[in-house]
Amino acid sequence: MKTLLTIAWRNIWRHPARSSVMIIAIVVGLWAGVVTVGIMNGMMIQRTNYMIESEITHAQIHHPEFLSEGYSRLYIPDHGNITAWLDEDERVQSYTNRTLTDGMIQSAVKTSGIRIRGVDIEAERATTTFHENMTEGEYLDSDISNAVIVGEALAEAHNMDIGHRVVLTFENVDNELTSGAYNIVGFFRSASVNYDERNVFVRAEDFNRLLSPEPLVHEIAVMLNHEEMADGFVNDVNSTFSGIEAQTWRQLSPELSMIVELGGVMMVVITAIIMIALAFGILNTMLMALFERMRELGMLISIGMSRMRVFAMIMLESMILTFSGAIVGMGIAVLHLSYYKDAGMNIEVFAGGAAQLGWDHIIYPVLTTNEYVAILSVVICITLLASVYPAIKGVRVNPLEASKSN
Amino acid sequence: MAIIKTQDLSKVYNPDTIPVHALRDVNISFEEGEFTAVRGPSGSGKTTLLNMLGGLDKPTGGSVWINGEDISAMKDSDRIDFRLKNIGFVFQHYNLIPVFTARENVSFIMLLQKRDKKEIQKRADELLDQVGLGERKDARPVQLSGGQQQRVAVARALASEPKFILADEPTANLDTKAAMNLLDIMERMNKEENVTFIFSTHDQRVIDRARRVVTMVDGAIHKDEVKEVTQAG
Ligand SMILES: Nc1ncnc2c1ncn2[C@@H]1O[C@H](COP(=O)(O)OP(=O)(O)O)[C@@H](O)[C@H]1O
Ligand SMILES: [Mg+2]
Repeated sequence: MKTLLTIAWRNIWRHPARSSVMIIAIVVGLWAGVVTVGIMNGMMIQRTNYMIESEITHAQIHHPEFLSEGYSRLYIPDHGNITAWLDEDERVQSYTNRTLTDGMIQSAVKTSGIRIRGVDIEAERATTTFHENMTEGEYLDSDISNAVIVGEALAEAHNMDIGHRVVLTFENVDNELTSGAYNIVGFFRSASVNYDERNVFVRAEDFNRLLSPEPLVHEIAVMLNHEEMADGFVNDVNSTFSGIEAQTWRQLSPELSMIVELGGVMMVVITAIIMIALAFGILNTMLMALFERMRELGMLISIGMSRMRVFAMIMLESMILTFSGAIVGMGIAVLHLSYYKDAGMNIEVFAGGAAQLGWDHIIYPVLTTNEYVAILSVVICITLLASVYPAIKGVRVNPLEASKSN
Repeated sequence: MAIIKTQDLSKVYNPDTIPVHALRDVNISFEEGEFTAVRGPSGSGKTTLLNMLGGLDKPTGGSVWINGEDISAMKDSDRIDFRLKNIGFVFQHYNLIPVFTARENVSFIMLLQKRDKKEIQKRADELLDQVGLGERKDARPVQLSGGQQQRVAVARALASEPKFILADEPTANLDTKAAMNLLDIMERMNKEENVTFIFSTHDQRVIDRARRVVTMVDGAIHKDEVKEVTQAG
């Protein structure tokens, strides 16, 4: 009813300061909430994509026990058959073979446990972006024989420098302890300090010479055309080949997939927390507005305005108040996010330690239509909840309020 | 037939603590076209009686019949609807919706009655002209004097075309000039359009204008006189 809307709207502006403060609180709350959610979402997606693109890829194939044991004898049997099959599969964008073994690195300073990763430079470059993580020196394509690149964090702990020699010790395929001297050619920094401390990279051919007479492959990392293809692809590999196990990135990095899942929950939680705080503001504003209007409401019921209409009028009032704030807040947030979506948001000021934990400091916030709809639904639900109580109070007003002489 | 009739109407406030007998077995009836003042000292039960007649409160004993219907037996929501269709109200204060203009206040009740939009506009304008507020139709209550506000309230009460209008001390907050002016308008509506008015007051000048004067003392009808004065002017 148009008249009810008119009354509701004008009632809101009866106390311009009070209503403005409330609306501004809603605008700011929603703006901050939506932008925060967008940033978190962006961080999550960036983190996931980064992990997939730089290292994990969409799917990996191993000897079923390799990941838990790390012995070089747990290599992929007949890997040639598998790679031939991968060459034929249309879903596969690219793949790379890796020769891996757990071992020790010994510098002039000390010895640390690490995983040695022998990579096929060409294929690795075509498949992952790990080579972009170099911070000093160069990637493994130098002419220097037995080149090794180490994480910055490890280099720091060992006081290593480019040109230094280190000794890598590991068990070969016959379980014999083997050592080799390697030359540091570069430092890298990945998304995780932890990872940087525990992994060193060498050329697969250099490494294989010391491991076994035949070149070994412990890991085939496969990049697919689409992330969604991962499950089907992994199933096909597992049913086609025996003695190996293919896994998706979600299985390989449960913490990463959990972050993604939690992200969705966090979004609703953040919005709900902000909205619950605002809900108490709305409740307070509406109750104040109501208590000073008891007589007016009594008069309206006296002259014949139905309690349903009174209810609707008060609900409309809270809803207009909230939604005008919510829409403006969301609008600003959308503009804000769309600006940073391309420019990226530098959160280094707020999160200096972000890199330490493996997060980028330039964030490209992301919020999909579905997420906007989810946020809007939370806003609507909470507004309704906060409006119902004052409306019920208003409905219960005694018409005698109007005829009281004082 | 009487449009309003009470039967042993009683009201006891706070029956469980310190009972106040605001009305004691009141039996009274009102005919169409009356112009009646309910007088009596403060606390004698005038407001309580008018609230009962208007169905704003429930009696603790007896009943109120309007046009042959027992309004004390009605459900709350039915009683609200009954008031909308049958009874006009003018209160001492807080009569108007502060965020609405005079015209909107008068139109509002007709909108509640779901009348035709065009008719509503026309009637609201006519009524405001009749109560002498033709120039102040777009003023909000705060921009109007107390007397002007009460005239808007009368126009609003008339707008709904009720069977009768109840006015509880409508002039209590007005100066003499404004009070007489309001009475003039009420009287004219009563004479010209046969609108039934029942108003409470303790102001002698207002009582003098009534054709029937009901005197209340201590919750009971003490006196009920019909004056056959012919108004000169
Ligand atoms: N809501 C109430 N609760 C208790 N007592 C009331 C209430 N309303 C009125 N009364 C009492 O009932 C009596 C009649 O009051 P009222 O009808 O307001 O008289 P009047 O309008 O003639 O001044 C008074 O004694 C008053 O104190
Ligand atoms: Mg009174």
